[in-house]
This record gives sequence, structure tokens and C-alpha cells, in this order.
Amino acid sequence: MSAIPKLDVDFLKPFIEGTIHTLKIQCSTEVTVAKPYKKEQANPMQIDIAAIIGVTSSAFNGSLALCFPKESFLKVMENMLGEPFTEIDSDVEDGAAELLNIIFGHAKKVLTDQGYSMEKAIPSIISGNNITVQHVSDSPTVIVPFGGQAGDFLVEIAVN
Amino acid sequence: MFPANTKILVVDDMKTMRMVMKKTLKALGFENVTEADDGETAWPLIQQSASSGEGFQLILSDWNMPKVQGIELLRRVRSDDKTKNTVFIMVTAESEKGQVKEAAQLGVDQYVIKPFTPDSVKEKLEFVYNKKNAA
Repeated sequence: MSAIPKLDVDFLKPFIEGTIHTLKIQCSTEVTVAKPYKKEQANPMQIDIAAIIGVTSSAFNGSLALCFPKESFLKVMENMLGEPFTEIDSDVEDGAAELLNIIFGHAKKVLTDQGYSMEKAIPSIISGNNITVQHVSDSPTVIVPFGGQAGDFLVEIAVN
Repeated sequence: MFPANTKILVVDDMKTMRMVMKKTLKALGFENVTEADDGETAWPLIQQSASSGEGFQLILSDWNMPKVQGIELLRRVRSDDKTKNTVFIMVTAESEKGQVKEAAQLGVDQYVIKPFTPDSVKEKLEFVYNKKNAA
């Protein structure tokens, strides 16, 4: 049995590494990470598509979200699929969910070894102009900002 | 290595991942690739092609899918005399020991772990091909 994790570097690191690794390998996209911070406002940047999954374990419940502005997401999809896209539509929107699945898979492997056995639900996708991403109510949420050649995007991690 | 005209079925509920796998297979020289968006739609395709005498020679299936999951599709493929010898490769973002053991018991040929590159898929295909031809 593991304790409720702190949203500290040790817990966030597998998600950060998973994001960098996934974008590099699957999307040929180099990304950089900036300092994580606690989410205080609805959206720290314009978000036009997000994939979100509920995460459960014996020690905690939470959620994980991968959030993109339109331009960044379309560039990542172009890099992944090898063709340009101009709109977020049914051809590409499930790409956000799949990338999140892969990031989770990477983090799960590492955190399982640390005693946090986790399961996830099927990801949901929300898209639209400047959407709001909501996690489990009242959960402390940490935002991990990423940047790089495709533009900025966020990973949000909430643990209840 | 499998010949370029190998009849391949890619099964994944995520359209973008089917596109990525098709792109990857094309980069490796494979053109005869069919898609299915779930195990439920894949199974009749597999049966029909087997009955026609030109069955799929290679199936690359995602593990986590709604309705019929990859592990159930593997079970069906291995349970049918017409399809039981088809090469079956599981594609997954999670490789838990329990899952790996279950798939191994059912006769999965290999795993591709996401994220993947053309080189990592090629390596898996060559491994399976060489193993089959050495047997």
C-alpha cells in the first residue's frame, strides 16, 4: 500500500519525462519543460483541445490532462502524421487522447515501481475555442508548461 | 523480413494511431495494409479474408479498445483453425507483467510498445519473421 503522493518533483518527473519522450519518438517533436506551478486560474493560456483521463489507485484518485492551443496541436499532428492540417476535426482530435495514453503508460511503469499502482479510464476529448479544463473538484492541480518547435502546450496533473 | 506484399491488418480505435502505423508500415515498404477501428469490426474481416483463401498474414492490434479488446481478438484468432497461425503482434502503451503473461499464454508473437519508430517496428517484424522461419 502506498501513501497519497505529494505533487512534488518525484511524482511529476515520470509524467514530464513521458511527455518529452512521447513527443520526441512519436511526433518527431523536441519539447522543453518550464517550472511547474500550482493552477490558480481557469486557463493560463488559450486551450483549444484537451484530452483528460481519470486515474485511480489504492492510494489516490486524480486526473491527467494534455492541453493544446490550436496552432501547437496542429503542428504536433503534422509532425506525427506527416501532412499539414488546418482544423481540429475528427481526422486528428483523437491524437490528443492517444498521446495522453502513451504518456500515462510511461509514467505508470515508473510509478508502479515506486509503489503507486495506477489504472486509468478511457480518455475523453474536449475541443473548441478557448475551452476550460476541469479536474476532480477541489483537487490540487499542478500545471507543467512545455514549449519548443511546435509551440506551447500544458500537462495538468490533479491528485485528490 | 516479411515480403512487401504481406497482407496486414492494423486494428486500433484511434484513427491517428492507425494513420501512424500505416505510415510506419509504408516507410518499411508494406503497401497491402487494411484498417479496422476495433476488435469487433476486425474479427469478421479476419474471418472473411481467411474464408476467401487470402487471409491476413500479419495482424498488428492495439490492446486497449472498447468492445472487443486486443487480448480477446488474439483469443479468437488463435481459437479458429483458419486463422490460428496468423502472426499477431500486440501494440500497447502499457506492458504490465500480468498482461504480458496472459498474451504469451494465448500465443502472441511479439509486442510493439508505444511510442514507436519505423526502426523499432522493423526490429520486431524481423525478429518474428526470423523466429517463424527458423522453426
